[in-house]
Formats: sequence, structure tokens, C-alpha cells
Amino acid sequence: MSAKFEAFLAKLYVDDQARSRFLADRRREALSSGLAEDDCAALENIDLVGLELAANSFARKRASHRLRRPASKLSHWLKSE
Amino acid sequence: MNDRFGIGWRPELAAGILSNLDCIDIIEVIADDYFTAPRSKRRALNTLARQVPVALHGVTLGMASAVPVEARRLERTARLVEEVRPEFWSEHLAFVRGGGVEIGHLAAPPRTAATIAGAARNLDVAGQIVGAPPLVENIATLIDPPGSTMSEADWNVEILAAAQCDLLLDLHNLYANAVNFGFDPHQYIDRMPRERIRAIHLAGGRWIKAKSSGEFRLLDDHLHDVPEAVYNLLEYVGEKTCHPLTVILERDGCYPPTNALLNQLDLARQALRRGRERRRTSPVSEAA
Repeated sequence: MSAKFEAFLAKLYVDDQARSRFLADRRREALSSGLAEDDCAALENIDLVGLELAANSFARKRASHRLRRPASKLSHWLKSE
Repeated sequence: MNDRFGIGWRPELAAGILSNLDCIDIIEVIADDYFTAPRSKRRALNTLARQVPVALHGVTLGMASAVPVEARRLERTARLVEEVRPEFWSEHLAFVRGGGVEIGHLAAPPRTAATIAGAARNLDVAGQIVGAPPLVENIATLIDPPGSTMSEADWNVEILAAAQCDLLLDLHNLYANAVNFGFDPHQYIDRMPRERIRAIHLAGGRWIKAKSSGEFRLLDDHLHDVPEAVYNLLEYVGEKTCHPLTVILERDGCYPPTNALLNQLDLARQALRRGRERRRTSPVSEAA
């Protein structure tokens, strides 16, 4: 995987608008990002069900990270022992 | 040394874990939770590590990437390892960012020669900076990684060969990928160099449905109990290996009572024991 392909995938997984543009015309979006021909071909045949589910799952993970409590209960527990 | 059975440390499980250390052999701590933690929290972790063996588990290095892992990320892992002195540390065969975009979770890279080379280089540098190579973990993926030219098993085997790392085999990740993409998880286990399997993760998940097609896939969410199929895979690993393994139960939410988690550890002990017993009594296994 080239760094460019990796960056394209990261954006595809995270950015709803970029994903919509890609789904409307996969090849054009891949080519316009300057990806190699092999990468463009791979993206034309992407696992669409997987893309939908993975993007949703990543979004849920990011949301849960934002909601996570910052502090561990470990310090409190050990202090109270 | 015997097989060891432990639980992933989560703040919500602290009381239950600390009051049951007689039946928990090892605790796995998420390293990333402590990189920027206040000194008091780091001290608490060091206190914990003096009471019970600890393993450190990384989730954000992004080892399977064409882009080198930043030295500053490895250096803070090194500092934590130096402080805590864990039994081992581990990371995932995943990429987690690209082009400045943080995915927020573990993503499967295309399974190609290029990502094998990238992972091997990153793992080599990690071993040098941290002082010990990580165990590497197979990840679950909901998407068949675009651009892949080889199977998951072949890709993982090639990385193990190139990087000289041992394997943290996540059996629920393996199970989920197997049911989602239609391969036999037993054949995957058979492909792994058995002496390199050092640790095991167990977890649960749930089926999710794609709105566009109605198709279901199994999500590894760490919010559900370990399914029987995963215990069966653990039994199979026990049959195929003869060295001690470290088995960690992962749970990230929907926490059941501590007894329910300890019961799952017991089921894991029984499964591994059954596998080991079958190995002892099977002439084929003895010869293998």
C-alpha cells in the first residue's frame, strides 16, 4: 500500500462527503486523487457492504472515544485500600 | 511455566479484578490510556504491576502501514515499558491513520507485499526503540481490505517471518473474519507457525446489518460474552501447541458481574485443557 492509497482509504472511511463522492463515481474519485492504476482498479471493486459497515463502526468508535471518561478508577481504588 | 489466564484492565472492572487476583494470573493494560496520564495514574499502574503480572497492549501505533511509525509514539511506548516492565507488549497489524486523518480505530491494510515490508520495517524499529519487539495481533475487519493480493493467513505468516515477532492470536477477530469472508479458521491456525503463538485474546461480538443490502456481518465489539465457537478455537490451539500460552479476556462495555467474567475465564481454562489433553492422547498430534 502506498502512503497515498493509505491516505485515500483513511479519508474514505472517515469523511461522509468524500465517501458519497466516491460512491457516485469510484474511478473518477480514485484517479483525481492521483492513485496508481492498480489502486484505482481495486477501489472500483471495493467491498461496498464492508465499506458501509466499517465506516459506521469507525464513526461509533470515534464517538465513544470522545465520550470516554478521562480518568481511571484505579487511583481511587488503590488510595482507598 | 504454566498457561496463564487474565483479563483486560478497564476502570469499570478494577474492583472486581483486584478482589479476585487469586484467580487472575495476568492483567492486560491499554498502553495508550497512560501515555499522557497524570503522574498519579502512572503511579497507580506501577503499583498494580508490582502486585500482578501486567502486559501492555497498544492500539494506536499503526504498525501495518506504508508510513513509518513516528518515533515520538514509539518513544512514549518505550518510556511506559521501562516504567511498568510488563511481561510483554503488543500491537495490532493495522493502520490507524493516513494523510493526517485519524480513523479512530484499527483498519485492515491491503494484504500485499508492500504492507508486509512496511509492517516489518515498523516492527523492527519498534523493537529497537522499545527494547523488545511487540507481539503482533491479527485484527477483525468488516471490509475485505481493498487492493489485497493474498489471504489473511498468508499475509500474517509473511509478516511473522519478516519481522521476527511472535503472535497474539485474537480468536474472536479470527472467527469474525472467517464467518464474514468465508474461510476456515482452523486452516488459518494451521498456517501459523505454532511456536510463535504466544498469547490469545478472547472476546465477543454481535451481528450487524448493512442498510444498503440487508447483509449481516459479525462485529467484534467486546461487549458480549465469548461465543462457544471461540472456545472451540481455543481448544484447537491447545491441541496444536505445547508451550505455555497467555490467554486474555477482553471486555470493553456492557459489563456483566465479575463472577460472569471469571466464569468465562474458567471456560477458557477448560477449553485449553481439553485441547492439551487431546494432543497428549492423539498419536497424530504427538508426531506433529
